Amino acid sequence: MSNRDLILMGFGNLLRRKTRSVLTVLGVIIGTCSIVVMLSLGFAMDRGFQEQLAYMGDLTIIDVNNYGGYDMGMMGGSSGSGSQTKLDEQAVARFRQIPNVKAVMPQRSAYMKMAAGRYVGHVNIMGVDPEVMEAFGFEVEMGRLLQASDKDTMVFGRSVAYNFYNPRMNNQNRYYGGMNGDTPPPVDVLTAKLTMTSDMQYGETRNRYDDGNDGPAPKIYDIRGVGILAQSNSEKDYNAYMNRDSLEKILEEQQRQNRNDRGRVDNSQYERVQVKVNRIEDVEAVQETIKAMGHQTYSLTDILTSMKETSRMIQMILGGIGAISLLVAAIGITNTMIMSIYERTREIGVMKVIGARLTDIRKLFLIEAGLIGFAGGLLGVGISYLISMGLNRIGASFMGPDSITKMSVIPFQLALMAIGFSTLIGIIAGYSPARRAMKLSALEAIRNE
Amino acid sequence: MEKMIQLEHVRKVYRLGDEKVVAVDDISLDIAAGEVCCLLGTSGSGKSTLLNLMAGLEKPTKGKIIIKGKRVDKMSESTLALFRQQNIGFVFQSYNLMPMLTALENVALPLTFRGIPVKKRNQMAREMLRDVGLEKYVKHKPTQMSGGQQQRVGIARAFVSRPPVVFADEPTGNLDSKTSQEVMDIILGMAKQHQQTLVIVTHDPSISNYADAVHTILDGNLDLTNRETLTITQEGIDQ
Repeated sequence: MSNRDLILMGFGNLLRRKTRSVLTVLGVIIGTCSIVVMLSLGFAMDRGFQEQLAYMGDLTIIDVNNYGGYDMGMMGGSSGSGSQTKLDEQAVARFRQIPNVKAVMPQRSAYMKMAAGRYVGHVNIMGVDPEVMEAFGFEVEMGRLLQASDKDTMVFGRSVAYNFYNPRMNNQNRYYGGMNGDTPPPVDVLTAKLTMTSDMQYGETRNRYDDGNDGPAPKIYDIRGVGILAQSNSEKDYNAYMNRDSLEKILEEQQRQNRNDRGRVDNSQYERVQVKVNRIEDVEAVQETIKAMGHQTYSLTDILTSMKETSRMIQMILGGIGAISLLVAAIGITNTMIMSIYERTREIGVMKVIGARLTDIRKLFLIEAGLIGFAGGLLGVGISYLISMGLNRIGASFMGPDSITKMSVIPFQLALMAIGFSTLIGIIAGYSPARRAMKLSALEAIRNE
Repeated sequence: MEKMIQLEHVRKVYRLGDEKVVAVDDISLDIAAGEVCCLLGTSGSGKSTLLNLMAGLEKPTKGKIIIKGKRVDKMSESTLALFRQQNIGFVFQSYNLMPMLTALENVALPLTFRGIPVKKRNQMAREMLRDVGLEKYVKHKPTQMSGGQQQRVGIARAFVSRPPVVFADEPTGNLDSKTSQEVMDIILGMAKQHQQTLVIVTHDPSISNYADAVHTILDGNLDLTNRETLTITQEGIDQ
């Protein structure tokens, strides 16, 4: 018997007993809905986490940190500082070789005092490569990004200008005033004439604890601001960026000047290298590769992974609750099929006597059960989408209309899987009745009542 | 003549609790190809059991059942299903049409089981319905037809795939005498037309008039004396 004939016949048999078929399908609809809606809550939570993290920073950036200078003995390294791979130019070159790495940005940082007219401010300055700034998501709000030919130029984070204060005004709230961007910062970094030095006392009013510095005063550099970065709610808002070569030159000069002040810094190593990966899915693999090279790494994906684990567990619990109702529906299918076999005993017998194969009979009943599952799954998924829409509308009303976080998300794969799963459940539920039908004695058919 | 069906010392015993009921005691019988054979017997004589055994619906306790040279009693359930599909047609007393299918679909059902495409099988079924005089009832459901009409659909269904053997179990049992006659004419006409072997089980002696050979069954055995008398009677009538 051809499959087409079997499906048509099975469909016809279901239509014959409309009420019962509809009720059984209804059971599957409720089961499918409860699983899909429950899982959709979990998916929405997942997506919420991801969006939250993306808000905190770029998920596709891995930070490679150099802790080589600190406490290697405490970390169990027997050979002291030799146990960690150096984070130098060679390491950067190796990172560039890793597949799916889009860009690598070695960084050097310096904490400097900057001055503009009467105002001074402490600024964390990062030396970066201008070529890869765009890849790392730097965007300007005003002015432009750094260029390779730039020397004493800087691009400022959105909030850096608020670091400036007038040392002659004893205002305690200077750091917090206007942080939200409502009031303009005290200094316009694009137009002001800026200077920079490593002397933290520079520009301050001398106080009585100051015993005066013996050594030669650190050199003062002229700086020109060329751009202000767009707000990103990440560390970028609080840093100033300049060409790494220029910053390295300045640092070298300073080191030469007061060698005994600071511990020796190995100039061939970077404090931090950022690695930009093509896609979120690749982050873990790339991170593992870098770790295997002997570096310390950190990425927001670390948090995401643990958050995902949490949400997966919640999803499993929710899905489990939903699964119970689908189980009940499956029992309903089995019950319906058994009833149907009792009613159709004679019919099945006749079919056997006039030439139906045993496998055809089994297939027919499996198809009927599968069709119930399929119909229930299809309608259940459709209704789930409606429920999901409703939930999101309710959610929007108490989370604010422009909240991106949804309460319920049904990915297309979930919809497909739900339909497939409910069909499978139908077939499984129909298996034992189908076997029973197949084994029925054909003799029943020709017994005359 | 070529033997289509052979029964050799067939015995069938049912167990009802502690009691043994001998339905068929010891029957040996040959039915030739193209023969119209009538198994005549009262209710409880074992004639229906014998038919079930021949059709492979039951296994004999003892003896051999051979159809077209194949041991039916030795076949597995699934082999039997296939064997029936290829070789056996069945006409029931209570018609046993599928209630949800039209007359055409009912007749085409054995062809459906064989996997014959819908166009071809509908054409064959239509021809069969025309042969039994029901060309106007193609789209009718069994409930919309009289008993005689339903039985004619049943006959069309049994013959549509041209099986070498057709079993008919009390084909006129639920019909009045006039309709019975019509139905028997159709069955015989069909069987003769294609030299099919027809085995009719009945308790109605008048049906045996249509048969080439009549075997009377009494308490699970062939009643040889009765057979002779019947033949004589028949001849007497003919004269």
